[in-house]
Amino acid sequence: MEINTLPISASTRGKLISTGYTSLSSLSSISPSRLAQDLRIQESEAVEILKVASVNCGVGNSDGTRAIVAGAQTAWDMLHEEEFARRITTSCEEFDQILGGGISLKEVTEFGGVPGIGKTQMGIQLAVNVQIPVDYGGLGGKAIYIDTEGSFMVERALQIAEACVEDLLDNGPARKDFRASQPNLSAKNLLRDIFYFRVCSYTEQIALVNYLEKFISEHKEVKAIIVDSVTFHFRQDFQDMALRTRLLSNMALKLMQLAKKFNLAVVLMNQVTTKYCDGSFRLTLALGDSWSHTCTNRVILYWEGNERYAYMDKSPSLPSASAPYAVTSKGIRSSASNCKRIKLMQA
Amino acid sequence: MHPQNLLLLSPQKCTLGCPILDRSLAGGIPCKSITEIVAESGSGKTQLCLQLLLTAQLPTPLGGLSASSFYIHTEFPVPLRRLRQLAHSFKSSYSNVFASSSSSSSSSSSTSSSDPCDFIFVRPVHTADQLFDLLLKLDSLLENPPTELPVKLIVIDSIAALFRSEFENNPGDLKRRSSLFFKIAGKLKSQAERFGLAVVITNQVVDVMTSSEGINGLKIGNLGNLYSSGRRVYPSLGPSWAHCVNSRLFLSRDEEILGDHVGSGEYVCRQTRRQLHVLFAPHLPICVEESLRLSFASVFSSEDRNNLRKCTKSVCLVASKMKVWRASRISLVVVIANQLQMLGYGSMENDLQQENLDLCQRGKFWFHFLPGDTNRRG
Repeated sequence: MEINTLPISASTRGKLISTGYTSLSSLSSISPSRLAQDLRIQESEAVEILKVASVNCGVGNSDGTRAIVAGAQTAWDMLHEEEFARRITTSCEEFDQILGGGISLKEVTEFGGVPGIGKTQMGIQLAVNVQIPVDYGGLGGKAIYIDTEGSFMVERALQIAEACVEDLLDNGPARKDFRASQPNLSAKNLLRDIFYFRVCSYTEQIALVNYLEKFISEHKEVKAIIVDSVTFHFRQDFQDMALRTRLLSNMALKLMQLAKKFNLAVVLMNQVTTKYCDGSFRLTLALGDSWSHTCTNRVILYWEGNERYAYMDKSPSLPSASAPYAVTSKGIRSSASNCKRIKLMQA
Repeated sequence: MHPQNLLLLSPQKCTLGCPILDRSLAGGIPCKSITEIVAESGSGKTQLCLQLLLTAQLPTPLGGLSASSFYIHTEFPVPLRRLRQLAHSFKSSYSNVFASSSSSSSSSSSTSSSDPCDFIFVRPVHTADQLFDLLLKLDSLLENPPTELPVKLIVIDSIAALFRSEFENNPGDLKRRSSLFFKIAGKLKSQAERFGLAVVITNQVVDVMTSSEGINGLKIGNLGNLYSSGRRVYPSLGPSWAHCVNSRLFLSRDEEILGDHVGSGEYVCRQTRRQLHVLFAPHLPICVEESLRLSFASVFSSEDRNNLRKCTKSVCLVASKMKVWRASRISLVVVIANQLQMLGYGSMENDLQQENLDLCQRGKFWFHFLPGDTNRRG
């Protein structure tokens, strides 16, 4: 009975409950005039009630009169938000282009590929890039790195962080006072702001994802959650495959909620498996078809000859395209080949 | 649940015993992760593993883990004789380490000096389920080590032998097999994380029969096509197993014909060239390769001149005892019983251990002489 928690007068509360508005969610999608009609009160009082309810929900605008329906947004507002929202760069121009500028916040992006293609490298690069200060065009946030496989090597992360700092100082604004005002930009500080968790079983993984909400509400600067990889512990023998599907979809739902609530990016790494269909073996991403629905964006990393390519497989707003990238000692960078064209594939 | 402080995390590495090989692996085999060595038979993977069992006992300033090791083997016969050989030469190379350790353990009643083999635990397994059960029992060994050195290295030689006979080639069996991979790898990784272990697993290769399309031609890692002994090969157990390991190293062997002396009829110089490639590793982004040499004392890089000189001495003694043709500078290529080869050259010296000579005389050998200089790397 969440209505009880609202700071409104007892008589108003009584009216709400008797009319059938027993939970906050029922108040979230109703217009003030309708509420006034139902409760037989003045419209201004209804607006006040809705404002209090929306503030308590933590959703929506603080000025309840602007939105037509408290708790919801118009598409126009959403478009504005998206245009000005920053994205996390991958340090590779072509890769950023196929992602529409970088990894977007409030969405779950999945990277899948064979071993050795650079998934862990991408994870470390993103964990470092999310911390690029706002003055340099980044988000200035912190990162949570959940390592399920033990592939995270601190020395490699230090290498990537040092290269990132070098690049920023080389290409950033050249004003001396500006650079002096960024004394905190060092590789060690970048590593300090990556919250690293190591999980060794699927139960630990699920428990950690459940705990993340509390953790992030205490560390509000977190802007990226990277899970490398989300599949490893789930590929063991599950007697009951339905249980596995349930656990996975629960976890995915929680991650999506975290992304939307705290306005951060969730990046998941996936593995490949061979699927036996029509008498032959095909390579697909692991965890099955039901998992494919849970992520917002899906990028497949693959080899073509001696070059690494990224292919935008699933996205609600971006076309399918592939882009070459390279894994260098500095991390993920643009491929050095001469023909750096983005190939648009006919879907 | 608390996040770990990254600045305090610095995984130890176990040296391979050769500084140049260590350099190409950025220090050696890392702890808390699984390293896989993929090679054809006869390439030297067991030799490398045996050497690791010994170097793990070195103290940390010398690059070791100051730890005992656990050797799980699946292929027979067990290389115990070779291990003893290596332990003997290891002890003499690092005599200061073992002398000090035996003097410090004067409280224990060991009258003889400590033998490196005392700190190596060997166990056979025959099936994959047995391996998993053994890993479960290992927990108690890891918590309460029977010797004063804790166990920090686990070597499984080889994993492929466990899986290649039990499972048929139908989807059901393959699925069961791959879930076993993840079960075993998951257990190993959680033990590695909990106790700070380095895990080394060896794997075999299969020949690639079909063209490069499809699953058989799937490129995993930096090298597209792996070649060994002139054939195109592929690591066995498939892409599922590739996901279970953190790093993968590939040892290739090739027979090379040196020089162009076929015209004279008697001189055919063959040499086995062994190379170490990094296929994929999270901390080694660039593919490196390093030429390996095996000797009866150790595995080392062909660039390592100190070790080359040591080999040379023993080779020359053999030549003098056999009363072969001398020249002021000769290059020798010696093939000894279990296909170890060395290349070295230098002057004749007579101050060598009798044991090395015994070993040479027990095996078969061919001598090929090549007058004049040849390049050391071959």
